[in-house]
Amino acid sequence: MSRNDGNGVLSKGDFGEVRLEDVTKVYEKADQSQRVLDECTFSVERGKLTVLMGPSGCGKTVLINLVAGYEKPTSGRIFIDGSPVDGPGSDRLVVFQETALFPWMTVYSNVTFGCQVQGVGRGETKERAEHILKKVGLYEFRDKYPSQLSGGMQRRAELARAMINDPKIMILDEPFRGLDAMTRQLMQEFYVGLFEEIGRTNLFVTHEIDEAIFLADRVVILTFQPGKVKAEIEIDLPRPREFHMLASPRFMEIREQVIDLLYEEASKAFAAGSKAAYDLMGAIVARKGACEKCE
Amino acid sequence: MEMIQELRLKREFKKVFNIRVIRGFLSIVMFVVLWQLVVFIKVPYLENLPYPKDVAAGAADAAGSRTYWFGWGISLVRIFVGFIMAQLIGIPLGLAMGISRTFKDFTFPVFEMLRPIPPIAWIPLAILFWPTRELSIYFLVFIGAFFIIVINVIQGVSNISVSLKWAASSLGARPKHIFWRILVPGSLPSIITGMTVGMGVTWNVLIAAEMIAGQGGLGRMTWEAYTNNNIPFIVVGMVSIGVAGYLCSTLVRWLGEKAMPWKKRF
Repeated sequence: MSRNDGNGVLSKGDFGEVRLEDVTKVYEKADQSQRVLDECTFSVERGKLTVLMGPSGCGKTVLINLVAGYEKPTSGRIFIDGSPVDGPGSDRLVVFQETALFPWMTVYSNVTFGCQVQGVGRGETKERAEHILKKVGLYEFRDKYPSQLSGGMQRRAELARAMINDPKIMILDEPFRGLDAMTRQLMQEFYVGLFEEIGRTNLFVTHEIDEAIFLADRVVILTFQPGKVKAEIEIDLPRPREFHMLASPRFMEIREQVIDLLYEEASKAFAAGSKAAYDLMGAIVARKGACEKCE
Repeated sequence: MEMIQELRLKREFKKVFNIRVIRGFLSIVMFVVLWQLVVFIKVPYLENLPYPKDVAAGAADAAGSRTYWFGWGISLVRIFVGFIMAQLIGIPLGLAMGISRTFKDFTFPVFEMLRPIPPIAWIPLAILFWPTRELSIYFLVFIGAFFIIVINVIQGVSNISVSLKWAASSLGARPKHIFWRILVPGSLPSIITGMTVGMGVTWNVLIAAEMIAGQGGLGRMTWEAYTNNNIPFIVVGMVSIGVAGYLCSTLVRWLGEKAMPWKKRF
C-alpha cells in the first residue's frame, strides 16, 4: 500500500492478537484479599472488535490494565501474538475512561507525542498528523489546548493520538462515558466507521448494552466479583454498521440474549449495593419493560 | 475591518471604564477622605497621623532623592538574589522528592522539621553564620521562599494523574520524556503557586531583616524615618514596600501566564 493512500497513512495493517489464559488478579490489603478476576480465558482476535461487558465492579478496568501491562496478573498469562506481556509497550494503546490528553500541549502536540518520543522524522510526523487530524475533524483546532475543546472533541483527539502510532492493538476503556447522548451516538458512529475502514484489533470496554452490540464483532460478558468469563457472543450484524440497525429484529434478538446474561450478574451487583450496578439495573428494567410493551 | 476595530475599541473602553472599575476608584477616594477626616477631628490614639497631603509631599521629596531610589535598588537586588537561589535549589529538590520515594524518605523528615520555623526566627543564626550582613539577608530571603517552593513542587508532582504517565508510556515515552514532558509541565501550576506565595513571604522576611540588621533598603529607610521621627516618611516607606511587593508578585504572575499558555481559555 502506498504511503499517499489514505489507509496507508493511517495504518500499515500490522495488527495483533491477544490471548488471555487463566488470568487471575487478587488484591491483598492488610489481612484482606479480594479476588477481582478469576481464571479469565478469552481471545481478542486479530482485526476484530471485541467488546468486554459486565456490571461495574466486575474488574473490567483491571483487566484492561493487565493487558496494557500497567499491572501484572497474580496468576495466568497474557500473550500478544504468542509472546507474553511484560510491561507497557507501544504495540498496545489505551484510551482511558477519563481524558488523558496532556493539558499543557496543544492538540497537535498531543497527537504527535507518540511520534516525537519515538523519534519519527519531522516531515513524516507532520504528514501523518495532518491526515489523522483531518480524519477526526480536528485539523482546524490543532493549535487549541484540550481545555478549549468540547468533550466529544477531546475524545476524538485522544483517538487520533492513539491511532497515529499505528498500534497493533487498541484498548478503549469506556471511552464515551460522560458524553451526552447525542455526542455519544455520533462518536459511536464515527468510531465504528474508523474501525471498519482500518480494521485494527480493538478491545472495547463498556457497560452500555446497545453500544456493545452496535460496535462489536464479539461480546465477552464478565461475571460480577470475581470477574470470570460468563459468555461470549458473536455479533453477526452486517458491516458497515448504521444506526437504523438498532431497530432491526436481529439486533433486538441479540439484545434480549445479552440482557438475560447480564441480568443475573447485575442483580448480584445490585444486591452487593454497587451504585453503578443500581444504574445498570434501572436501565435493564426500563428496557425489558419497554420491550414487553412492544410485544 | 474598520467596524471590527471600532467594536474592539468600544469593548476595550468598556473594559477600562465599567461600573466595577469606577466603584474601585471611588473606594480609594473614600479611603483618602476618611483618612483626612480622622486626622482633622483628631481621633484618639491617631492624632500623630500625618495628613494625606503631608505624605504626598514626602513622597514627592522622596521621588526626587537618589537615596530613595537607591533603597529600592538594594531591596530588589536582595529579593531577587534570595528568591532566585531558592527556586534554583528548591525546584530540583522538590522534583527529586516528588519522584523518588527513597530520596524523599531520606530528606523529607529533616525538611519537615525545619519547615515550621518562621523565617524571621532564623535572623540571629543567619547573622552569626554568614560573614557579611548582605549574605545573611540573602540567606533569610532564601529561607522565606525555599520551604514554600519545595513543598509546592512535591505537591505538584504527586497531583499529576497516573493515567497521564500511563498514556505517555504507552505512546512510547521513556523516563526522560516522562520527566521533561509530563512531570515538569504538570507540576508547573504548583511551582507558580509556590513562587507567588514565596514572593509574598520573601518581602515580609526582607523588611524584618533590614529593620534589624540591614544597611540600606526600603525596610531600613522606613525604620530610620521612625528613629528620626519623620512620620510622613514612615508612611511613604510603608507604601513603597507595598508597591514593591505588588510589583514583584505581578511579575511572578506574569511569568506564570507566559509559562502556562494552556491555562488561558480561548
